Amino acid sequence: MNKTSKMPRARNPATVFLICLFCVCALLGQFPAEAKEEQLVITGSSTMAPLVSEMGKRFESLHTGTRIDVQAGGSSRGIADVLNGLADIGMASRALKAQENDLYGVVIAHDGVTVILHSNNPIQALTDDQIKGIYIGVITNWKTVGGLDAPITVVNKAEGRSTLELFLHYFTLSNRDIKAHVVIGDNEQGIKTVAGNPHAIGYVSIGTAQYDATHGVPIRLLPLRNIPATLKTVREGTFPLSRPLTLVTKSSPAGLMKIFIDFARSSQVHDLILKQYFVPLQG
Amino acid sequence: MSRQSRHVQEYGTTAIIWMAATMVVIPFLWLIGDLLWNGWTHLSWSFVFSAPQNAGREGGIGPILMSTMLIVGVCMGVAVPMGLGTALFLSEYTRHDHVLGRLIRGSLDVLAGVPSIVFGLFGNALFCQALGLGFSILSGGLTLACMVLPILIRTAEESFRAISREQRLSAAALGLSQPTTIRTILLPAAMPGLLVGGTLGLGRAFAETAALIFTSGYVDRMPESLMDSGRSLAVHIYDLAMNVAGGNPNAFATALVLVGLLLIINLFSSWIATRWTSLNQLPA
Repeated sequence: MNKTSKMPRARNPATVFLICLFCVCALLGQFPAEAKEEQLVITGSSTMAPLVSEMGKRFESLHTGTRIDVQAGGSSRGIADVLNGLADIGMASRALKAQENDLYGVVIAHDGVTVILHSNNPIQALTDDQIKGIYIGVITNWKTVGGLDAPITVVNKAEGRSTLELFLHYFTLSNRDIKAHVVIGDNEQGIKTVAGNPHAIGYVSIGTAQYDATHGVPIRLLPLRNIPATLKTVREGTFPLSRPLTLVTKSSPAGLMKIFIDFARSSQVHDLILKQYFVPLQG
Repeated sequence: MSRQSRHVQEYGTTAIIWMAATMVVIPFLWLIGDLLWNGWTHLSWSFVFSAPQNAGREGGIGPILMSTMLIVGVCMGVAVPMGLGTALFLSEYTRHDHVLGRLIRGSLDVLAGVPSIVFGLFGNALFCQALGLGFSILSGGLTLACMVLPILIRTAEESFRAISREQRLSAAALGLSQPTTIRTILLPAAMPGLLVGGTLGLGRAFAETAALIFTSGYVDRMPESLMDSGRSLAVHIYDLAMNVAGGNPNAFATALVLVGLLLIINLFSSWIATRWTSLNQLPA
């Protein structure tokens, strides 16, 4: 029996495989692409994703039959997805670059970026040159800039993050110059890293940092060029290190895209922008 | 060797082994304690069933829980039959040194060691883009299925191989066909092992973040079909903890739900395994 029953032996795994394949196909066939709803896919900046998600929910409730799907992954990915057609709208938490001028960018809000220290660190302010010196590894001890005798832990952002690009641009640095001890991704991660290390220095979004600092997280926001890092100075345009939160499209926005982008710029979403600790366009 | 030094050696070894075992328990208790301490007060039925608001700072995790169940459901629905089939092929239909068998085993071992972010990128390229499924629960589930298949197949194969040769020979002597042998002898005998493999696979699927963020996506709406994008519990925890200011309390509460879910699955599967064994051990 063991040797003679060749047929079922050979057929069985193939049958199992075919049944599985059939199940998958059946599953796929059950859900034809739903064309009855108008859908926008928005991908990009993880800083903007929670804000745009909230805008999308409000937009859906006002325009029945529309769907706004927001995916996070970083500004660079947002731009790339718009270029290869994976997304209708990209989110970039920076201004468009010169080589991206074939894309259309619309600013929906602003965000400031500032340097943060642990609140136990006695230093109250640093000059631009001192910050630059710390990040390129020339200054390695807090003593040099008038602080305690302790080595500095430099926290840098990961490649592809627009906060990094903004920071590098402001201090006219290249990422290769930076001598980082810790490389982080999202804002909260940066804040948690600095809050857990009294000798660390990092840079993050002002809105997030301000929220955490007023909710008992042990960090201090440093002023830049003597201008305090607050949402107010970002709104007034006086804070030197700020960035526009931009929605990016491949062609001039039309149809549902245009309706959504206009909605995202309108005063109807100001409360949402404030709730995510960003700065609305006007007033 | 003097008697005294033997005593020292014996006590020393005992102490070290006890210490090692205790130190393994401490992180687990610490973790559970930390989660309970920070998350318990935010946990309620309405948290488990309502929709998230204000980027997840307020509201609950209802749609996210639903998406997670669907993603894991798709994953196990595809992975279990494929895994069982492959394991049976490896243990019952080929000799241990068969070329195809060795090729499958080798590739499974490599797959088992691939970091989950690589599965995420692969799933994004294959399911989301090449097959046109987009960011969807289906893409996420299929990506996870690729990820848990190695665990499922290797544990299942081991449990089939652990069954004694005499049982197969007796079945053959009774004239049972191969499918009948599998159904009535091998599957029941291997069931406890299969359950362990399934639980490991389920655990890995439930806890996955990196493979899902680029496949099933970030949308926290209640899913209406498997083609909708849906955020999983682990992705939600990651976003709340790392990307949303003031998201910590709900991140802890969500983590508590996830760990609770995994504990329930573990207890349930070990309960089935013991019941199964006692049911199948008939008195002589």
